[in-house]
Amino acid sequence: MTNSLSPEKIVQLLTKSTQQLDVATLSALADARQNALKYQSAPVPGFTLNSASAHGSVHWADRFIPHSVQPWIAAGLLAAILFAGTSYWQHLQEQQIDDTDVAILTSDLPIEVFVN
Amino acid sequence: MKIIVFNIQGITVCLLLLLGLASSPCSAAAPSWRSLTPIQREALAPMDGPWDILPEIQRNRLLETAKHYPKMTPEQKKRYHDRLEKWSHLTPEQREAARKRYRAFNKLPAKERERIRQKLKAEQASKAQQSASGVSATTVTNHP
Repeated sequence: MTNSLSPEKIVQLLTKSTQQLDVATLSALADARQNALKYQSAPVPGFTLNSASAHGSVHWADRFIPHSVQPWIAAGLLAAILFAGTSYWQHLQEQQIDDTDVAILTSDLPIEVFVN
Repeated sequence: MKIIVFNIQGITVCLLLLLGLASSPCSAAAPSWRSLTPIQREALAPMDGPWDILPEIQRNRLLETAKHYPKMTPEQKKRYHDRLEKWSHLTPEQREAARKRYRAFNKLPAKERERIRQKLKAEQASKAQQSASGVSATTVTNHP
């Protein structure tokens, strides 16, 4: 027995057998398809660089800020946050150095302990 | 996709500009000795002579340490004054190495730190005693 069915033959057989299905089965399959499509179009929460919403409705930002300017504003905000973070980190580093210097200069241990 | 690419370009440009600014050292001009406040002058008194020839970054750092001066105990003030000159003569690398050693020392358990303190005090006392006896011996031998 040979199992050499061509793809076309398989499609034909599937179409033929689909046509032979009873109404209840066809209805159940149609419901399942609708459910699957509904699930696929549901919005997935997450970060997107593009401000257009997944629903296709107008985003609040589009009403007040021109679309062409939005990427620059986003870039500026991100850069400002990073700048503030870097500045704060640098300030902490400087403060730590100053505190250590004072501690060395006033320690009850001789300075030679720390300095070669 | 075009918007995303545009956005990344914008971020890159802004980041390069702002991080360049952020990474530049605090370049506040260090004041001359004359323009220091009386409290700053008192704190940094041993630096009266060499102050104006010190690099700006070093002057700024010393000014930061001087802010703590009013809160120091008399003993701490004395140590601060005694050590300022030696500290300012060190190279930036030596000062950084000293900071690292101090932080490493501070991370030791309290018992271990105390043991080191006691050992150093004993060594100092022994040295002081030796030099004192050396001086007295010299004085005795030089006496007619």
